[in-house]
Amino acid sequence: MTFALGSLWDVIVVIALILAIAPWFGSYLGRVYMDRPLFGDTILNPIERAVYRVLGTSPRRQMRAREYMLALLLFNGAVFAFLFLYFFFQAGLPLDATGAPNMSWDLAFHSAVSFTTNTDFTHFTNESQVSMGSELIAWGLALFTSTASGLTVFVAMVRGFVRRDGTLGNFYVDFTRTMTRVLIPLATVFAIIFVLFGVPETLRNYIDVTTLNGGTQTIYLGPVASFQSISLLGSNGGGWFSANAASPLANPTAASNLFMTGVMMLIPFSTPFAFAQVIRKRQEAWPFMGTILIIFVIALGLFIAYQAATNPALVSIPNLGLSTNGYPVGEETRFSLPEASLFQVASVYGNVGANNLSIGSVSPVGQLVLLFGMFTQSTPGGVGCGFGTLLLFAVLAIFVGGLMVGRTPEYLGKKIQTVHVKWAGLALLVHPAIILIPFSVGVLIGAPGIAGGTVGASAHNFTSVLYELTSEAANNGSALSSAAFNDTTPFWNVTGALVMLAGRFVPFWAMLQVGGIFSEQEILPPGPGTLKTASWTFTIYLTMILIIISALLFLPVMALGPLAQIL
Amino acid sequence: MSAPASGAAGPPPRPPTSPVARRPPAHSAGGHARAALALIALTLLVTAFVYPLFVTAVAQLIDPYAANGSLVYYPNGTVAGSALVAQNTDTPYLFWERPSLTDYNTTLGADTPPGPSDPALGALLNETIAYMEKYGTYTVNATLPFWLVAPSSSDIDPDLTPEAVLVQVMRVSENTNLTIAWLTDFVNAHITNPPVPYVGVPYVDVLQLDLDLLPHLGR
Repeated sequence: MTFALGSLWDVIVVIALILAIAPWFGSYLGRVYMDRPLFGDTILNPIERAVYRVLGTSPRRQMRAREYMLALLLFNGAVFAFLFLYFFFQAGLPLDATGAPNMSWDLAFHSAVSFTTNTDFTHFTNESQVSMGSELIAWGLALFTSTASGLTVFVAMVRGFVRRDGTLGNFYVDFTRTMTRVLIPLATVFAIIFVLFGVPETLRNYIDVTTLNGGTQTIYLGPVASFQSISLLGSNGGGWFSANAASPLANPTAASNLFMTGVMMLIPFSTPFAFAQVIRKRQEAWPFMGTILIIFVIALGLFIAYQAATNPALVSIPNLGLSTNGYPVGEETRFSLPEASLFQVASVYGNVGANNLSIGSVSPVGQLVLLFGMFTQSTPGGVGCGFGTLLLFAVLAIFVGGLMVGRTPEYLGKKIQTVHVKWAGLALLVHPAIILIPFSVGVLIGAPGIAGGTVGASAHNFTSVLYELTSEAANNGSALSSAAFNDTTPFWNVTGALVMLAGRFVPFWAMLQVGGIFSEQEILPPGPGTLKTASWTFTIYLTMILIIISALLFLPVMALGPLAQIL
Repeated sequence: MSAPASGAAGPPPRPPTSPVARRPPAHSAGGHARAALALIALTLLVTAFVYPLFVTAVAQLIDPYAANGSLVYYPNGTVAGSALVAQNTDTPYLFWERPSLTDYNTTLGADTPPGPSDPALGALLNETIAYMEKYGTYTVNATLPFWLVAPSSSDIDPDLTPEAVLVQVMRVSENTNLTIAWLTDFVNAHITNPPVPYVGVPYVDVLQLDLDLLPHLGR
């Protein structure tokens, strides 16, 4: 083992702190969406009422699933259009001191979809291909709106369990309260703390310097802290710099790295408690927390163990010394191995997609661990939609469990029927479909960009393509960035954008439908035959369902890429 | 508002208090479109102006050094770079940074090193080791610390492990009039230790080290 075992303690402390904060913050998050007095009402209520008046809506206007989805789609469509136009014409728009050229239509399409869908997968080099205005004005808007959209769908779906009139809430009210009560205050506080850790926050775009050996260097700056803060808080994961959170300017010290890890984990790990708050059954959060924790901790352990192992391909290099801090290639000096690993696993499992190391350099088992997190996309998954996916898994698990014991399956007093399972199945099956079909088609037709084509590509190249599509389908945004896979061609830009759209809005539609159908049903009192969901048995059962479904769907394709690399 | 035809006085009967019944009608499609545009305008006002400008103002007030990019200066006062960004210090009399696949050119972004099972990785490391050994002796048994020859993730990592800096002392000494003992003390004085045990690892900011070395070289 090539790292100090003592360096594990701060990682354990971060996880413990998150678990301590999550029930408290989660219940606050839940109360944001409940019609009852809340801290900050005296200042924020008048502001929110003014916003509703401008929007022409009122909290008393409740929407059913179809109308909620329409409002969400129209709003996100408008955000997409704004981003697309901004990127397409960025050279003529304000704040383009670096002279970034207009994006091509396919790159602008991919980028705008990527940011609107909370993916933040980038097919460009930030420093030379996007202007400061594009990052600050266009991308910065999507960082907030995509996060808030995820949370609105989550809460709308969950309301279905406690209502009987078919309504799910008001999209505009939920969105506004997410912004005023959660995202804006937290992002502001975290951004200021980031500055204290050494992250720049200035309106100066760049500075040219003469280096120590007489050359020149351009140092890119900008409002990095405020961008990074909402990017990590909202599981966006986009970076101001193309090196993302590996850049020393974006993540200057080990302490900042730990803090940012906590910021990323905060909302996804609190969401189960927000769910429990909204349905007013505290104990129902724990099966989900248990499932998330079991899978997360196993993944983290595997990732650390394999990053600490010696790379067998390098033992033959005679003059290479040992490292006392894991595997240095593609890693940053200032982080200990467990700290770098926790950030990376939390980022991918929380569908943030930020990186503080080069994912293309991690061990094949590490790559498999990260891929698995994106296959399940719910442990804990992105803000809002991760927990929504987990609820769909639970619906499926309870239905299957009910069939096995021969009882009518019900959850929280609502009968689970075929129609729920159809929608859950659609959401859970669209995920593998939009990964595996484009993967097969792209590889078989020899789509431009894959070095070696269909037959000559190495296992690592296959992994790169698989990782790219999985990341886009899960709205994750992390990239393997292999030199052997050029994903900036029109084919991959358009394919990737369509995959991201389907990976975002089909599950959203299914979640709202399931919530809407639940909302029309009566709430039954628990009977002797009711499955007790707040129990260890159900936790283990849900974990197993999750692992088995994900493993079975993806085993064949994993054999081509990461598994072949390990063998 | 039409008055009751019978002319009976008093207010109309109160509507039922059930939340379903007193609910206003749903938005029209046009209403949704207008609401979406208004919501974007309001959100943009906050996210593009109020939020970043407020954070920038506070940041410039409480920590201008960090907020402006942790800039470091030459003895004559001109900007030499950022303490957080590695630059090319590839001269025999200076301590070297970690290798960079983009040659420390930040405009190129960050490049990903070859994958763990890629033969190009061994070739890249061998090439780096050969280059470094051409410019001077390092240690007796001739192994180089892994961190010194491995490319970083950001390609501008300014930090190195202490042993990866100390191993360069012999070369720097050969190319300057400074002794090995003095240089070793100099490097040791520049080690940043974890503020709390095991939060991060001990490291040396090589750019800061080289900047502090310049006066001793008479440059």
